[in-house]
Amino acid sequence: MDAFKSLINYVSNPTILFTAVLVGFPFVFPPTNWFYKVHKKLGIDKLWTKKGLIIMVAITVAFFIFGLGDDNFKKIVLKPDNVPISGLIILLIFFTWLSLSQAYKNDKLIDEGKPVDEYYEAPNDKVLVWPDLVYVELISLILFSAFMLIWSIGLPAPLEEPANPSESPNPAKAPWYFLGLQEMLVYFDPWYAGVVLPTFIIIGLMAIPYIDTDPNGSGYYSYKNRMLSLSIYLFGWLVLWNVLIVIGTFLRGPNWGFFGPFEYWDSHRLEALTNVNLSEIIYIKWLNMGLPSNILLREAPGLLIMFLTFAVTPPLLARTALKSFYERLGSTRYTIFVVLMIFGVLLPVKMYLRWFFNLKYIISMPEFFFNF
Amino acid sequence: MSDKKNIFERIAEGQIWKSIFRGGGAPKSRRQRMMVVLNSVFLHLHPVRLPKHAVKLKFTWCMGGLSFFIFLILTISGILLMFYYRPTIEYAYTDIMDLTEQVPFGIMREIHRWGAHAMVIAVWLHMFRVFMTGSYKPPREFNWSVGVILLVLTLLLSFTGYLLPWDQLAIWAIAVGSNMAGATPFLGAEGPGSSLLAIGDINFITKASDARFGLIGGRFLGEATLLRFYVLHCIGLPFIIMIFMAVHFWRIRKDGGISTPV
Amino acid sequence: MPEDKKKTSTISPKTPPPAALNKVEKENEVNRRTFFSWLSLGWVAFVAATGGFFTMMLRFFFPNVLFEPVQTFRAGYPDDYTVGEVDLRWKEKYGVWMVRNDEGIYVLSTVCTHLGCTPNWQPSAKKFKCPCHGSGFRMTGIHFEGPAPRPLERFKISLADDGQIIVDKTQKYQQEKGQWNDPESFLKV
Ligand code: HEM
Ligand code: FES
Repeated sequence: MDAFKSLINYVSNPTILFTAVLVGFPFVFPPTNWFYKVHKKLGIDKLWTKKGLIIMVAITVAFFIFGLGDDNFKKIVLKPDNVPISGLIILLIFFTWLSLSQAYKNDKLIDEGKPVDEYYEAPNDKVLVWPDLVYVELISLILFSAFMLIWSIGLPAPLEEPANPSESPNPAKAPWYFLGLQEMLVYFDPWYAGVVLPTFIIIGLMAIPYIDTDPNGSGYYSYKNRMLSLSIYLFGWLVLWNVLIVIGTFLRGPNWGFFGPFEYWDSHRLEALTNVNLSEIIYIKWLNMGLPSNILLREAPGLLIMFLTFAVTPPLLARTALKSFYERLGSTRYTIFVVLMIFGVLLPVKMYLRWFFNLKYIISMPEFFFNF
Repeated sequence: MSDKKNIFERIAEGQIWKSIFRGGGAPKSRRQRMMVVLNSVFLHLHPVRLPKHAVKLKFTWCMGGLSFFIFLILTISGILLMFYYRPTIEYAYTDIMDLTEQVPFGIMREIHRWGAHAMVIAVWLHMFRVFMTGSYKPPREFNWSVGVILLVLTLLLSFTGYLLPWDQLAIWAIAVGSNMAGATPFLGAEGPGSSLLAIGDINFITKASDARFGLIGGRFLGEATLLRFYVLHCIGLPFIIMIFMAVHFWRIRKDGGISTPV
Repeated sequence: MPEDKKKTSTISPKTPPPAALNKVEKENEVNRRTFFSWLSLGWVAFVAATGGFFTMMLRFFFPNVLFEPVQTFRAGYPDDYTVGEVDLRWKEKYGVWMVRNDEGIYVLSTVCTHLGCTPNWQPSAKKFKCPCHGSGFRMTGIHFEGPAPRPLERFKISLADDGQIIVDKTQKYQQEKGQWNDPESFLKV
């Protein structure tokens, strides 16, 4: 038991957990034909059958039930504001399954040259709103209201000590739906993680229909013909958003340290967090000289890297790996797409740089509050 | 058939009923059923007929409808809470306590709080569904963007409401959140580039004039912050979200109803 | 074409004769040209009015007078503070730590430079540790661990005529800007 617990504690360390998710992701949600073939060969598509659902839900529920036997786990999971997130985990599994099982069914139908499941031949393709839709709505509303009532009676809303501006709780967390962003605060400065990044997320979401211009695949679930866009979206939504929320909620403890699900939240645990900037690594460690006093010279390496990333990479890719993309999308769409993707990729990159090199900032200009 | 009518039929054919529900009578024929929808301002949100797959739960998951329904629950329970809650530092916390302890049906606060969580989840799942069915593709691109704005507004509503109990959970979540506004590039006193917006020694972006100040109404979290968040939460944001919802629903109809395979 | 002609030839008495029609058309042409300049003027006016309105609305959120706690206070005599210790007595009320070392006294802000939580002074480890995201600051206020991007801020400190310390929180000194060398950021004792 204890060995199992410490194993879980160990693998839920972000370095391992996140790497595992990152490596496993393209095989579960393949972005290209090659991954799709491996995905089929390994039989991962069986996840989207009824048996797959039962197994996934059973494992999750069993884990929670097992976990509730542990005091530390129980304390975190049963915190009133965290209960919805446990629910969210189950809902995510279910709805991911629901959409993908239908998508795979339709993929098969399309392969066989048959119309998709959602298709009905005219004139029998329509039903009347009254009574067919209003009844569905009515029943959903009644069931949902009953559910809300039970939830509200069973779980009191939290109210902590009165506000005290000179005493921060440890840890202090944002509302749970922002914990993915708060996780980013560990790796980026507030101006980026709290302002620029959310802005890009909003812009990026709004831009989706204008970048993915393939008109096919609307109005029914499907996977194979929309592989790339689905894989990218699912990565952003499931991994960069929801996995980070789960980490932020359940695995971040006092002093924003990382704690396994069965670990005691010890606020005195010591953690060496001494991080260094890129300029310090280059000038002090590698070149063995002091930091130049000129800010631009000091930050030249970081600025150069950023310049290469944003000004050189997109045109380079347009000529090489993403050539067909460039030709299909045209230069404006292509540029917006690639720049947004680079911003997305920078998140995991910076996380790994921090974990492995203790890198604090690529560019560090505290004089102008500009750290990246 | 006997010509004796039962009480329901008599009511349904009486003058009062007919004056309220145009046409009257139980909608039995196809024509009557269509007229029911057309004749009601509420049901008229719907089309008269819709594709067969669209009424199946496994297609829409009912998540858009549920988001809207939860919004209605939140509106009603929120209005009820406003009868007892006073947005001042002196009273806010104790009023919230009284809401659970002194007010009959002391679960109104729970309904409102858990409803808020449920709405965030429902909106996320709705967006997930819309992506998975490719329903953002032409001609629904714009409605997808309207949806993204609805998502942002939903999160902002939740965020502004989080402060109102004025407990430790509330102020520190808001402290952390609003300090991020202070780091806005150019417009935050601690954001990159703000020191460039200056003439000589005079800074235009200071703690008393930056984005964070605009949000919390002071240099510190305090009375002004509570009032600002209260007004935004109870009036400002609901007003804006309702406008966007109206556009959202209107566009669903205008874009040809729920998306359908061709 | 022939049909058109037919129409003009069968004009009813009420519609204007063809000559008048021509005239209207000409006037229209002139009108169209002037119309465009009127249009642009109209647009400029519209944009200016809307812009002005929104500026007003924005400005509305920045009041001229703030009702916030006083920012200047008297903090007792220098001898009230022990050398080598962080003094917590004004933390609650004014949000500052008073630190006295061998050379004198300085005033540190209790606001974490990361996102504004209040760090705790840990005497055993001789550091300020922020509970929110784990930033650590030394007794001087210099950051050395966690996500905080810069050191804690210091406030203006001076002596009144009666020998009492006066702390002025409206004046702050940031180390990364080299302001800690400012004589007013430090009270020599
Ligand atoms: C307050 C939040 C929202 C409410 C109340 C709402 C409500 C609805 C409703 C009732 C529908 C009808 C179909 C269904 O139930 O699935 C719908 C459809 C749609 N929604 Fe939303 N929605 C919200 C947020 C969003 C978001 C966040 C997005 C995407 C970013 C979005 C994009 C769409 C699109 C594209 C459709 C058309 C779907 C189709 O034709 O299949 N909505 N919405
Ligand atoms: S607020 Fe102090 S570390 Fe984030």
